[in-house]
Amino acid sequence: MSIDARDHEDAEVFDGSGDDADDEGDNKSRVARWADDWIKNPEKAYAVMLVFLGGVLLTTSLFPLYWLFNVAMAPPGQTDIPLFPATIDLSAFVQVFQQVPFARFMFNSLFYAFTVTVFVLLVGSLAGYAFGRLEFRGKTPLLFSLLVLSFFPPATLFIPLFRAFNQQVPMLGLFTLPVELYGTPGAVVTPLSAFTMPLAIFILTTFYGQIPDGLEEAARVEGTTRIGALFRVIMPLSAPGVATAGILTFITVYTEFFFSYLMTGNSAAEWAPVVDGVLAFQTQYTVRYDLQAAASLIAIVPVAILVVVAQDKIISGLTQGALKE
Amino acid sequence: MAVEQGRSEVAEGSGGVLTRLGTWTENLSEQAYAYLLLTPAFVVLLLFAFWPLASAIRMSFFADVITGGSLGEFVGVQNYVQLLTNNNALAPAAFVDPSFETPILEQALFMTILFAVLSVTGETLLGFLYAMLMKAEYKGRRLVRLLIILPWAIPIVIQGMIFFLLFRPGYGLLTEPLQQLGIFSSLPLNTTFDSFVIVTVADIWKTSAFMALLILAGLESVNQDLYEVADVMGASRWQRFRYITFPLVFPVLMVAMLFRTMGALRVYGIIESTTVGCSTVPSMTCLVTQMMFGSSTLYGSAAAVSVLIAIVVGLFIMVYLLFIKQSNQSLGLA
Repeated sequence: MSIDARDHEDAEVFDGSGDDADDEGDNKSRVARWADDWIKNPEKAYAVMLVFLGGVLLTTSLFPLYWLFNVAMAPPGQTDIPLFPATIDLSAFVQVFQQVPFARFMFNSLFYAFTVTVFVLLVGSLAGYAFGRLEFRGKTPLLFSLLVLSFFPPATLFIPLFRAFNQQVPMLGLFTLPVELYGTPGAVVTPLSAFTMPLAIFILTTFYGQIPDGLEEAARVEGTTRIGALFRVIMPLSAPGVATAGILTFITVYTEFFFSYLMTGNSAAEWAPVVDGVLAFQTQYTVRYDLQAAASLIAIVPVAILVVVAQDKIISGLTQGALKE
Repeated sequence: MAVEQGRSEVAEGSGGVLTRLGTWTENLSEQAYAYLLLTPAFVVLLLFAFWPLASAIRMSFFADVITGGSLGEFVGVQNYVQLLTNNNALAPAAFVDPSFETPILEQALFMTILFAVLSVTGETLLGFLYAMLMKAEYKGRRLVRLLIILPWAIPIVIQGMIFFLLFRPGYGLLTEPLQQLGIFSSLPLNTTFDSFVIVTVADIWKTSAFMALLILAGLESVNQDLYEVADVMGASRWQRFRYITFPLVFPVLMVAMLFRTMGALRVYGIIESTTVGCSTVPSMTCLVTQMMFGSSTLYGSAAAVSVLIAIVVGLFIMVYLLFIKQSNQSLGLA
């Protein structure tokens, strides 16, 4: 990354870590004392290194976001953005909503993410249950087909779908989709559901497979029907897996670029996602980089909140579910 | 549909439909019940994944029709031959860079694979460090974890905007110093080499968090008793890493790298949003979109390129699987 930025930010972090590990001692011998101390207690040296390394990693990880904020603060058209903004000017964050219907763009993206997540969880749970808990012929080939599907790049699926949505090409050679579908959520939600489904099914399969058989049997003995046991016993127990699959799907769809960008028109009313919202500040004659930066930061807010709230879920879900043999 | 209704009934606490559905499914064999539950998912997949896949493969054997709408005549493997041998006539205008003398597909293939190798290597190294940071116990770990995960959750277009602004002359802080060092040109986003570096760094920045999450999952699954045994036996920190952590995390690491390689080979969004369209770093997927939305719609060739991407991805997966098998044997895990 930036040599400037790194030097600068590192210096700060290093000071900070120095304070933590500081013993009371005068400046002259401090370095020598540290060295002695570290040779005697390697654990301490590792701890300091960890903090230092952490500082470096976090600054490189956060600096780009900070820079975005800086650009958003600068008056329109100003170049040579200073490292620290001279004045705190948040007007760009308000103008974003005044100049274009940015709230609608945001809504569109969130709507896609939410709809796809709900749909994938609903349909994927049933499939995950079947794969995780039932024995049937063709199980392995069907699971394998999901795996194969998940490695095909979206570009491969895109061309036929684009034609099906735009040019009335019959799907499966049987029927055509209605003309009105392009530029509606349908043209984005359906392919993205299919695209995110395999991973969700894999995660859910692992989770459903882990639920002990005894619980389901007990419910059945009590006289619940099969479907009743699925909805009353199994689904509640698989809630952590459903949450993980849901969060991953939501983030995948919200951050997705390919389908949501290419399958919609570019105005908010045509269900364009946040991508087009950010690009809307770029007209033929002017580009408002400050507004683009502000819009970008606003668009990060929903996922940032999700990550704050669901951080532990993401980590524990992946730890317990997705990768467990 | 009926099943979904059943679900909403449950939510409302009434069991009418559920009971009826229950008695009906009760009479099904386990096999039939499984198929019933799989049906909704596979209907969606059939329509929006399997069909387009088959259709794309079929389309790649038909001639490009410039007017759009329908497909041209059946031409067999001609599209592939044309792409693999030198034929820059097919290249969309943005792709014809005088500095390139190789066939268009070769450029794209080279760029894509180089990008995948570099970014996955970077992500793995950084991801491993991140994972160690997320694993260690200290005050403020939650915040550190949050800050590490955050870039991964940022929409690709925003990621593009960030790196666009960082390197745009006048706005970017980084353009001038790098230019003075003689590393970058004055318009880095318009130059192939510079944009390639920027796009790779941007990708590493965003996705090493995902790598870290997967590696963390691997680290957490390591049996902690092993470390206690190692402590008793007086193992050094390096030995603990070398003989416990690394071999046990290795399988997860391979899976994570496999995931990320697949992702990197289909790179498009970050290139499109950071650089001037797809013109400076022509990846394989860029080639597909340029052929679709360029001055003329080349369905057959675009489909052929998209099938080739799938083949390249498939080859990488096979290499990984072979490698995993071999190294597991040598580590005594198989």
